[in-house]
Amino acid sequence: MTARQEPVLPAGQAEPAPPEGAATATTAVAAARPRRQGSYSLTKQDRRFGYALVAPAVIVLLAITAFPLVYNLWNSFHNADYLFPTTFSDFSGVRNYTSMFSGGQFLPSLYRTLGFTAASVAVEFLIGMALALALSRKFIGRGIVRAAILIPWAVPTVVSGLLWKSMFDPQNGFVNYLLNALHLPLAHTTWLGQTWTAWGAVLIADSWRNTPFIALLLLAGLQVIPRDVYEAAKIDGASAIRTFWRITLPMLKPAIMVALIFRTLSSFLIFDIVYAMTNGGPGDSTQVLAYLNWFAMNGESNYGLGAAISVALMVMSLIIAAIYVTAFRTEQVG
Amino acid sequence: MRRITPRLSGRTLPRRGISVAAIAATGAIALAACGSSSSSGAAGKQVPASAKQTIVFATQGLGSEGTATATAVKAFEKLHSNIKVQILSLSPTSDVAFEQLSQRFTAGSTTPDVITSDVIWPAQFAQSGWLANLAKFHPATSSYFPGQMATGQYKGGVYAIPWFINAEGLYYRTDLIKTPPTTTAQLVSDAQAAMRKDHSLKEGLAFEGDKYEGAVTAFQSMGGQLSPSVLGNINTSANASVLTFMSDAIHKYHIAPSAVSTWEESQVQDAWLSGQTPFALNWPYIFALSDGKGCKPGCAPVFGKTGWVPFPDATGSPQASLGGDDLAVNAKSTHQAAAWEFIQYLSSDSAQDARAISAGDPPSVKSAYNSQLYAAAPFFKQEQAVYAAATPRPVTPVYTQISSQLQTMISSVLSGSSAPSAALSGTAPTIKQLLSTVASGG
Amino acid sequence: MAAVTSVVPAVKAARRRMRTRKAAGWSGFYLMVTIFVVVSLFPFYWILITALKTQPEISAGTTGLFPAHLTWSSFSSILSQATFARSLLNSVIVALSTTILTVIIASLAGYGLSRTTIRGKQLIMGFLLVAGFFPVIAMVGPIFITYRSLGLLDNLVGLVIVYFIYTLPLATWFLTGFFGQIPRELEEAAIVDGATRLQALRRVIIPVAVPGIFTVAILGFIFCWNDFLLALMFISSPTKYTAPLAIMNLGQSQYQTYYNLIDAMVVIITLPIALIVLFAQRRIISGLTAGSFR
Repeated sequence: MTARQEPVLPAGQAEPAPPEGAATATTAVAAARPRRQGSYSLTKQDRRFGYALVAPAVIVLLAITAFPLVYNLWNSFHNADYLFPTTFSDFSGVRNYTSMFSGGQFLPSLYRTLGFTAASVAVEFLIGMALALALSRKFIGRGIVRAAILIPWAVPTVVSGLLWKSMFDPQNGFVNYLLNALHLPLAHTTWLGQTWTAWGAVLIADSWRNTPFIALLLLAGLQVIPRDVYEAAKIDGASAIRTFWRITLPMLKPAIMVALIFRTLSSFLIFDIVYAMTNGGPGDSTQVLAYLNWFAMNGESNYGLGAAISVALMVMSLIIAAIYVTAFRTEQVG
Repeated sequence: MRRITPRLSGRTLPRRGISVAAIAATGAIALAACGSSSSSGAAGKQVPASAKQTIVFATQGLGSEGTATATAVKAFEKLHSNIKVQILSLSPTSDVAFEQLSQRFTAGSTTPDVITSDVIWPAQFAQSGWLANLAKFHPATSSYFPGQMATGQYKGGVYAIPWFINAEGLYYRTDLIKTPPTTTAQLVSDAQAAMRKDHSLKEGLAFEGDKYEGAVTAFQSMGGQLSPSVLGNINTSANASVLTFMSDAIHKYHIAPSAVSTWEESQVQDAWLSGQTPFALNWPYIFALSDGKGCKPGCAPVFGKTGWVPFPDATGSPQASLGGDDLAVNAKSTHQAAAWEFIQYLSSDSAQDARAISAGDPPSVKSAYNSQLYAAAPFFKQEQAVYAAATPRPVTPVYTQISSQLQTMISSVLSGSSAPSAALSGTAPTIKQLLSTVASGG
Repeated sequence: MAAVTSVVPAVKAARRRMRTRKAAGWSGFYLMVTIFVVVSLFPFYWILITALKTQPEISAGTTGLFPAHLTWSSFSSILSQATFARSLLNSVIVALSTTILTVIIASLAGYGLSRTTIRGKQLIMGFLLVAGFFPVIAMVGPIFITYRSLGLLDNLVGLVIVYFIYTLPLATWFLTGFFGQIPRELEEAAIVDGATRLQALRRVIIPVAVPGIFTVAILGFIFCWNDFLLALMFISSPTKYTAPLAIMNLGQSQYQTYYNLIDAMVVIITLPIALIVLFAQRRIISGLTAGSFR
């Protein structure tokens, strides 16, 4: 989201310099248009029209997001544990929240999830940026290459998880076969059987699928930067790295912010790939927060606890988004 | 681009926005209050068995199992012309099927009427009030294998009837192993000897060690004690030695590859059928795949060389973890009488044998093990020894959570990050606490 | 002049050096691009050959880069299953419905947010952002219970509605920005010519906004096409399966995962998406760019 007061120009779009003629033309047109009782009722009519336009989108989204949100909030303060049907729907205060922490799994899972999020965002952002820079150049076959790297994104996540699980199979999988053939180390690792390598495998599976999308977002942002800016830099004799650091990066900030928020929240809420590849194992070393959420509802049939975890996840997602927006806002103002 | 519209202050919330939000919130709370009332409770008016009706049967199984179900349904409809059975396909994956059923139950749905239940679910469903107590129909509980019948009995009621049985045993290559081992020490030496002699063997013992339910059944089949008397404190020397064996098989005796910590039935099946292991721990469906008619060419390495026994246990009373499926009736169903007719049909010897022959699902009814069955599929004779040792997993509503703890425990031992005794002593109190919640509450 | 003749070989040498450096730069660049492409596409190659392998060969594990025997049996087995063909149709219907409705609703809202004087724009944009990152897993329980009372369970219409969570927030937010880029003169001119605002929107703005609309349509379609979690929870009859459900249900039995079947299904399902992406990638990227329009 942009920091400026005008909410209409979202992040990622640089405002092109308005041609001088346009301003005078619009004011001229505005002046020429007959007004009724001054600008007030025109604005009111305009406003009503605007609300009508926006209403469908807002209503649909409210229905499918606000309703579950409120429902989960309500549930989180009541007993919604199907194993105890006689006390069902009784008000339970903050018990669901306290049991969330007293179970001893929430905090470790939080740290693990944050750690994975940091790693995956870093890796996917760096690779995505490199990819975007590469693809912004003109070269033969660029179209095919762009399409090729976008294809991983077209595979359903759960299928991707299964696929990578079989690729990382210690005896029959391709990864060990390749490492063995190239005489590289780690060729006999039981990838999903040990904590760090399991995380590595999950990271690889996640990156393979999601980096292209990041590259896409950044590529779009790169395309917005006008060529003459680069040419001016070249004339001034700036090196490639300097150009990138001083010119490209700042102009990319809106696109970067979008990409980072998107990527951070997706990693923070990751579920499909972990579920398919490791089921939280080995031990509980890959048990992420979304997995705890799922298990509370589907394993424990405790929808009150599940609701509490959902609420916690939503609050944390909001905080993360807010952190990014604030950070980028201060950057722009300062 | 200049705006001719005034800039927003952005500080005051528009009144309209607040009122919309308030309406949405109130509506949501109202719906929530209505919708979240407990879904247990008496069912509506019951339709008599003689009336014309359709019942919905939620079941897993595609392929040969699906065909067998369809055949049974057709035969039943012929016998009871007034009852139609509609099949609702559940996911073949056990966990997902559980979710699908749970969702329907929490929503208070009156269908499905009859469900296929994994043997570990009835207690949990019954505790939540989602299953009808079938005691009112006076089921012949003694005609089933006792281990499996127990999975449907909870707090004095009968909530599920066994459909077909499964038990996990040790497959061994009869050409490589002359007499099946009776102790784990013998198994180890047999495996090591076989591997030394035949270098085409990649491992000595294949078992399921991935972090999932199959690891718990493997643990139990290898002698892990989960009976009610032990469950309160699983930190026993017997359990420690089983866990130690699982870990040592990989790290000390080197008969199992470290890959087993990622293996499920599918991988163990592949290892067994490709002839690369003399021992494999798996379920009866492997027998049909190894020795059944028309199993070639996939079974070539093991055809005619397959034996199956309970996993050896030093104490002399081996265990075979009980699996299989039960049948249960939705507590909210209005067709319970017809549902019972259907269940009774599926428990008849003819239906049980038909399914066993076509789909390989072993009958849960003792009397179905007759000459008809053996004539068509002789390997069922050998399977009986394993079923006699069938041991159910804990019949408790919190089994899913207990299993999750056990899975974590086994997984951390196999990956080498915990020692068996430490893992046991860490997990025992959690399980005890889980048991106490359901003992004291609801 | 003597200076020129002595300078020329030096210049030539310098040019040659620059050419080699440039060539080296380009070959390094191409190497990197090749690595990216190989890494992206290799798993697909793997999926493809697994779909063509025989079951025993799959059980035997990875023995090489190329399969020993090729067979079409997985494909023929899958295509002969009515459930699978039906699921493709269901996926298309649902994804297309959601996409088309999203485009309409998001265009209206985008126009409203970028062109009118309504209050609370920041609130709405903020809400859109939050909705776009909503943990979908938290939606399932409450919506399941609501759908049951509304009779929308096991109903493709119910899926279309929930899929809006994947498409609407981002589409609206994006189109708002996109419309904001379009100069006002265009519609002002149309209004001066006598069109109503909606007519101006339809005849003037939309045609110009086609790249942006196309982009959100494609992206939204792919999101819907790939969903598994929501489809799993709200659809139970095989006749109503969407493609991902069909993959997971037809490719697995209780104890086994049939990778050859799954991969055959993945190939069939991903092919149309891959073709769309291939032919539309320029449009997608230019749509996202929204910087200039022709």
